[in-house]
Amino acid sequence: MSAKWRVWLGGILLAAVIGAALYFPALRRQVEKARNLTEKTAEQARRELLPPVPVNSGEPRVKAKMFWGSAANDGTLMPVTVELPLSSDPTLRAKEILNTLLAGPVDPEARTLPPDAALLGFYILPDGTAVADFSETLASSIPSGIQSEQLAVDSIIRTLQANVPKVERLKILIHGQEVDTLAGHVDLTQTFQVNRLGSEPTRPGVSDVLTAPIKKAIEKVKGATKRQ
Amino acid sequence: MNIVVLDPAHGGIDLGARGTEGIHESDVVQQFAAQVRRALEGLGFQVIQTRDGNENPSFDDRSARANAQRGAIFITLHIASTGLAGTVRTYVLPETVSVRDPSGLIPWDQAQAPFVPLSRKLGDLVQTEFAKRFKGSPDTAQTAPVRQLRTTAAPAIAVEISSVSVEERADLDRMIPGVAEAIAHGVAAFRPSYVVPAMPGTPLAAQP
Repeated sequence: MSAKWRVWLGGILLAAVIGAALYFPALRRQVEKARNLTEKTAEQARRELLPPVPVNSGEPRVKAKMFWGSAANDGTLMPVTVELPLSSDPTLRAKEILNTLLAGPVDPEARTLPPDAALLGFYILPDGTAVADFSETLASSIPSGIQSEQLAVDSIIRTLQANVPKVERLKILIHGQEVDTLAGHVDLTQTFQVNRLGSEPTRPGVSDVLTAPIKKAIEKVKGATKRQ
Repeated sequence: MNIVVLDPAHGGIDLGARGTEGIHESDVVQQFAAQVRRALEGLGFQVIQTRDGNENPSFDDRSARANAQRGAIFITLHIASTGLAGTVRTYVLPETVSVRDPSGLIPWDQAQAPFVPLSRKLGDLVQTEFAKRFKGSPDTAQTAPVRQLRTTAAPAIAVEISSVSVEERADLDRMIPGVAEAIAHGVAAFRPSYVVPAMPGTPLAAQP
């Protein structure tokens, strides 16, 4: 090989090395960025598919009382006051409150609901009975046990009780369906008493005597869930 | 009252709570049940178990074992996923409105309603024994809408031990004798006060 060609070849190699030195860090940054994007959990992706709860920014921020687990891990709930822009509409307000509860407290140990669970729908009937439809992950990701399931349900009930006076009773559905238990222990066939406003007390087994409006609401939730 | 129906929860493909080192609730509760059974039989009680092997009877099948007896009590045994390790909690159903159909029969899914006060008494007696033996356990029974209890027509309690999240399986094994002794003592203390609530066709409550 002549000296001229050696110079050309050397020059090309040098240019390739310099090019690679400049290009590879940029490429690595792009790969990292792409990986971060694809590492979004299935839950995040599913949340994006759900219709967003409209937040009425015109509403003043009010102090809301959320019930999360106590730091002592003793199976009790502790009220935590947070400031939220809450709607005056009871249904929207309940959705905002429950989504905040699902988002969880600062201390992840104080969570009462699984981080990947989501609220799929919420309705309030004229008689004050509310129907809350949660994603399947509420049942599948919650730690199995009476204490943990009771804590989850209690945190929902007490948080609604403290912030949405219009809700008198609550029926919990999982992915649009009535289920026997949350995760094998706590009975979800009943409606739970939230705020007592002069109505008759609830009792287990009430699903057998569900009134027509409640049945209609459950059918509505089932229909909405199928469409999602 | 001389019969105790003992229910080791879960079983079959339902492993219940799962912890570290392959600890499965469905497996551990059977060991607890075996010792509780021995302790109760030692005090003269006849014990019927809802499952002896790795089966998974339905909630209703488990309740039916107790509902077929007259004057029995029902205890369902669980191991929690969470909670302060080394503690035990007893649960009873909250007070409910007892509803009867026009013939005077109590609907199956509300079978526990007339027994709730008795269940509360049994639960408190058993929980008192747990509090003596397991530091950090509550002094009295807790209320929770436990599905298994709702269809049981007898004084019925759920006992939940914390937890499958212990560092070593031996930590749970060490609790077995104390749990068995506490349940046996609580049930024995309850026996004199057990008066079967009046049922349709029985004008007066039956005495134990």
